[in-house]
Amino acid sequence: MKGLWWKVLALLLMLYVVLAGLLIPLKSGIQSVEPMQLTAGQQQTIRVEGYNTHFESGEEIRAWLRLGSPRVEGKEGRDTAILSNSVKVIGVQDLSISFQVPAYLPTSDGAARASLIIDNPKDGAFVLPEAIILKQSEALAGPPSPQGWSSQIENLSASSGITFPFRGLLAETIRNQYFHVSLWFSLMILMLAAAVYAARFLISGRSEFDRRSEALTKVGLAFGMLGLFTGMVWANFTWGKPWSGDVKQNMTAIALLIYLAYFVLRASVASDQQASRIGAAYNIFAFAMLIPLLYIIPRMRASLHPGAGGNPGFGGEDLDSTMRMVFYPGIIGFTLVGLWLAQLSWRTARLKHKIQERLLG
Amino acid sequence: MQNLSPALFLQAAPDFIRSIGKIYVVVAVIVIVVLGLFAYLYFVDRRLTKLEDQIQDDE
Repeated sequence: MKGLWWKVLALLLMLYVVLAGLLIPLKSGIQSVEPMQLTAGQQQTIRVEGYNTHFESGEEIRAWLRLGSPRVEGKEGRDTAILSNSVKVIGVQDLSISFQVPAYLPTSDGAARASLIIDNPKDGAFVLPEAIILKQSEALAGPPSPQGWSSQIENLSASSGITFPFRGLLAETIRNQYFHVSLWFSLMILMLAAAVYAARFLISGRSEFDRRSEALTKVGLAFGMLGLFTGMVWANFTWGKPWSGDVKQNMTAIALLIYLAYFVLRASVASDQQASRIGAAYNIFAFAMLIPLLYIIPRMRASLHPGAGGNPGFGGEDLDSTMRMVFYPGIIGFTLVGLWLAQLSWRTARLKHKIQERLLG
Repeated sequence: MQNLSPALFLQAAPDFIRSIGKIYVVVAVIVIVVLGLFAYLYFVDRRLTKLEDQIQDDE
């Protein structure tokens, strides 16, 4: 069999993506904090439930409440935070943390949002943004004061081992990035190849190019359906329902219908040659519509998908370098699988064409 | 030998998803499915190659 190497590569990449994508653990994180509201000027204790943590008594576990408010004056470059005065380990995932909250908040609106940062020698440091609301006690009404809020967050431990980011809303579903998102990226490559072959067919008139274009579009459409359904499963867990009428979901549905019409169009033209020419021209236009539908319009509107409002799609904690190590091979793997499927399809079409020619001539 | 007590084993579990060890069953199943699909692709590909060769020989 000719050209076997890239098919073997496809298999190896897919196995790697499944193994690494499912087995690399998530970084430690904070699942829940109870209570979520604390009053200033008191000794307060919170219960924290961690995720993938390894709390152990006898180790130095530290916690901070850090105010993220930019309205705190005269403290540039310093943390506005308080350090815990005792951390009790209840279980590997559970802590009881006490804070002496100063009598006055450093902000003037009587309440402040605080992030909870926990540092554990084994798991490294991790944070739950806006974990707790701090309220000024009414009995102790007074001017805002920065006093007592100057604990530095320093000497943080680093976690050992490879981990994926822990994101509260996504949790373990962050692994879908390697399957759902890779699938969409490879669809773009397949559809681009289909459009290029369509253009080459129109230029040269060689029927081989048309067969390739059609086969690639077929596989691309199948990937699109899978992408849509996998997205709905994912959305059900993170956005609450499979179809929220999100702009990217709607535009995707339209894009898939446009490609579906390609096959309807080809099938409705009686002459094979005309079907090929009209189909190829349509295919180029369909690809020209795919880009704005999937990548431009959703970014101009409010969308649940990352990348809404003109921001770059991924960055920071959404896609760190550990995730890229699985995500990019995933894109290549899915693309090669798609190419293989398309190749089988166009080779079958070519055989059929040859047999027909022989029967006729 | 004290490290072998089950309670300590659980405590030393690497993380939630692998804590009971059943995730490996899922991974094994998916790996078999992937291998099976690729094997199927390979056999279809080989059969197609044979047919192509036959047609080529006839010409």
